[in-house]
Amino acid sequence: MSEISAVTRDSRNSKFFKFIPGLNRRQRTLLMIASSVLVLAAVIMASLLLDNEKIATHFDEKNLGPSLEHFFGTDWLGRDMFTRTVKGLSLSIYIGLIASAVSVVIALVLGMSAATMGKTVDRVITWIVDLFLGMPHLVALILIAFTLGGGAKGVIIGVAFTHWTSLTRVIRAEVLQLRSAEFVQISRHMGKSRWWTAFHHILPHLVPQFFVGFVLLFPHAILHEASITFLGFGLSPHKPAIGVILSEAMKYLSTGMWWLAFFPGLSLLIIVRAFDIIGENLRLLIDPHHAHD
Amino acid sequence: MLKRFTVTITALSLIFTMLFFSGCSNSEPEKNMKADTERDELIMAIGSEPDGGFDPTTGWGRYGSPLFQSTILKRDSDMKIVNDLATDYTVSNDGLEWTVNLRRDVRFSDGKPLTAEDVVFTYETTAKSASVVDLNILKSVTALDEYTVKFTLKNPQSTFINILVNTGIVPKHAYGSDYSQKPLGSGPFKFVQWDKGQQLIVEANPQYYGKKPFFKKITFLYLSEEAAFAAAQAGEVDVAAIVPSYAGQKVTGMKLQAVESVDNRGILFPYIKPGEKTKDGYPIGNEVTSDIAIRKAINFYVDRSSLVDGILNGYGSPAYSVCDKMPWWNPDTVIKDADEAGAKQILSEGGWKDSDGDGTLEKGALKAEFNLIYPSGDQIRQSLAIAVADRVKSIGIKINVEGKSWDDMEKLMYSNAIMFGWGSQDPIEMYNLYSSKYRGVDYYNSGFYMNPKVDEYLNKAMSSISEADALQYWKKAQWDGSTGFGTNGDAPWAWLVNLDHLYLVKEKLNIGKQKIHPHGHGWPLTDNIEEWHWEN
Repeated sequence: MSEISAVTRDSRNSKFFKFIPGLNRRQRTLLMIASSVLVLAAVIMASLLLDNEKIATHFDEKNLGPSLEHFFGTDWLGRDMFTRTVKGLSLSIYIGLIASAVSVVIALVLGMSAATMGKTVDRVITWIVDLFLGMPHLVALILIAFTLGGGAKGVIIGVAFTHWTSLTRVIRAEVLQLRSAEFVQISRHMGKSRWWTAFHHILPHLVPQFFVGFVLLFPHAILHEASITFLGFGLSPHKPAIGVILSEAMKYLSTGMWWLAFFPGLSLLIIVRAFDIIGENLRLLIDPHHAHD
Repeated sequence: MLKRFTVTITALSLIFTMLFFSGCSNSEPEKNMKADTERDELIMAIGSEPDGGFDPTTGWGRYGSPLFQSTILKRDSDMKIVNDLATDYTVSNDGLEWTVNLRRDVRFSDGKPLTAEDVVFTYETTAKSASVVDLNILKSVTALDEYTVKFTLKNPQSTFINILVNTGIVPKHAYGSDYSQKPLGSGPFKFVQWDKGQQLIVEANPQYYGKKPFFKKITFLYLSEEAAFAAAQAGEVDVAAIVPSYAGQKVTGMKLQAVESVDNRGILFPYIKPGEKTKDGYPIGNEVTSDIAIRKAINFYVDRSSLVDGILNGYGSPAYSVCDKMPWWNPDTVIKDADEAGAKQILSEGGWKDSDGDGTLEKGALKAEFNLIYPSGDQIRQSLAIAVADRVKSIGIKINVEGKSWDDMEKLMYSNAIMFGWGSQDPIEMYNLYSSKYRGVDYYNSGFYMNPKVDEYLNKAMSSISEADALQYWKKAQWDGSTGFGTNGDAPWAWLVNLDHLYLVKEKLNIGKQKIHPHGHGWPLTDNIEEWHWEN
């Protein structure tokens, strides 16, 4: 929610690279984005390259602490936690990708129609947005995922259908503003149809919102995927998903196997942060109000 | 919002780490240790809160002892049947009439005497109730006099005696709709208080006719596995049921007690080819598991002892049948497993070969691939499912493991392999699982197994007049030298392990000689509660 409205957040992330002399702010921002993308790409690549054999059961290697051979240790079935974590993260990224793509499309369609299709439509859509915003995300998510019988399908649909609301509001406001802009009015007066102006004059201005919204939905989708899986309404418990790994780890904490929760939790944190950084810096770059800060 | 999540996760990781370190340095001296051996109260966290309450007429006490009620007969620690409420019983020559003489000194905990009327009332109520208890066999039950009861059966049934062992007698005068919430009986303990989901408090029944228990008051706490273990570490409970993964942990002042059980875990294979549907419309049968070569190869290839060591941390034993080590078990079901060559031979003789070189066998157009479903909350079953799937991959059988809720499993169990758990001190369970009469009934024969020869043996065993006569037929049903439902025969199941039931028990507490426990943690432990005492 706040990540979209809080357009005034400062660009503190780019300060990370202040130590490199000779870079201007824009270049630092670019570097920031590039390195975050690199992290994500590395995770996805690693998950494809790592052998599935490593997450098969190896009873002779179970409950090992972190070592050079197993960076994140092994679990009670002797599965390599590093491999499980990386595969879990990439599964999360994949789910996040689909879920946020769907919710961004929903937001775009609803936002556009609310702003262009007249008062009644606007009222209905605003009402639906308020309705969904009034309900805690997680509750709606659990309801949807549970009704659909859990699994990846339930999670994706659940996340997609609960995260579009705030972006819809932003897009609706933007369209309302654009509609009264001079170039749109002129286009209308010159006889172009509603739809023509919408597609040729309004839509292009929404691209930044759309894109930033998409990236910033990502961490939400991932965290929510992890949390409902953690609560047991999401993916099947043997899947290498972060939520699953964390909830399993809970059972073993009292036996002192801290590495089961620590490293996967930390990795999730890093991935989510990486997306957050990409989103914020992208906004700095392409948002017309901030691009020249 | 995102910020909050980030902060939460960081905080959690920190807490976890701190917990770990504080766990290490926890060397607080054991409290209450001195007072222990004088206390006549116990606090136990052994789980197994009965959802349906404590009414024996709807199934309470089937697994373990009814605690509040007493039964007509019972099994001693060697599984022999001995009298409880009965002084003696006789069975007519045709096996149809059972006459039981009752003790005259038995009183319910409210002081009223227990008479034949109460027994008749209990069995009539049980027969009427729609519950897990199957009393179809009972034609009538009548009180001949105040302390003699006659049971008349429709046809002879050797397992009827187990109904006399399992059914706690409820008082006719104090039985109402809320009985299951406030039970009253003639057992060693009387009900005090039940806070659902939290605790059950019981006190010794002063009217109890048997050996008076040493402990006057017992509190059963209903805690999760982790919480029970934590409570044991903190010295707050005297007995805690734990899962194998905690078994390696030393807890000061407590000893680990592993009780042998027939609480088994195994894979049910749908036995017939697909095509039909149940009357609720769920598909029956599975193309791959209906092939005997697949079922037998899995049976021969799984490495049961490595499952015991790996998943149960050694606290268990390999399982070859549903009733290992029970009197009706046929030891011929034990096979030499982890036999790669044997399994491969079975598969190739069955016509399975990897013709496209993808690592999975085929037979014509059919791939050796099927789903194995486990209840998603059960970590032992999950681990077993994963381990078996990983194992059989190397002989070319692809098992897709899936975790589901019990609701979903009820729809899928006719057409998918299921990781089930059974184990009973009553051979009727074997009948329910393998008899064609129970195809698709409840959770029983959901694989639709049927073998006329097996049915014949099972029916003979059931209609034998005594349990001793029945034994030979129970054994033959498993394997008679040429057929049976055992591992050598049709192998409609792949039994994997018998769990040991693990309890952390205060060092000085003696919990007597335990029987081989049936399925279900918890209540079986208290079966012999009268024997429990402190050691000096």
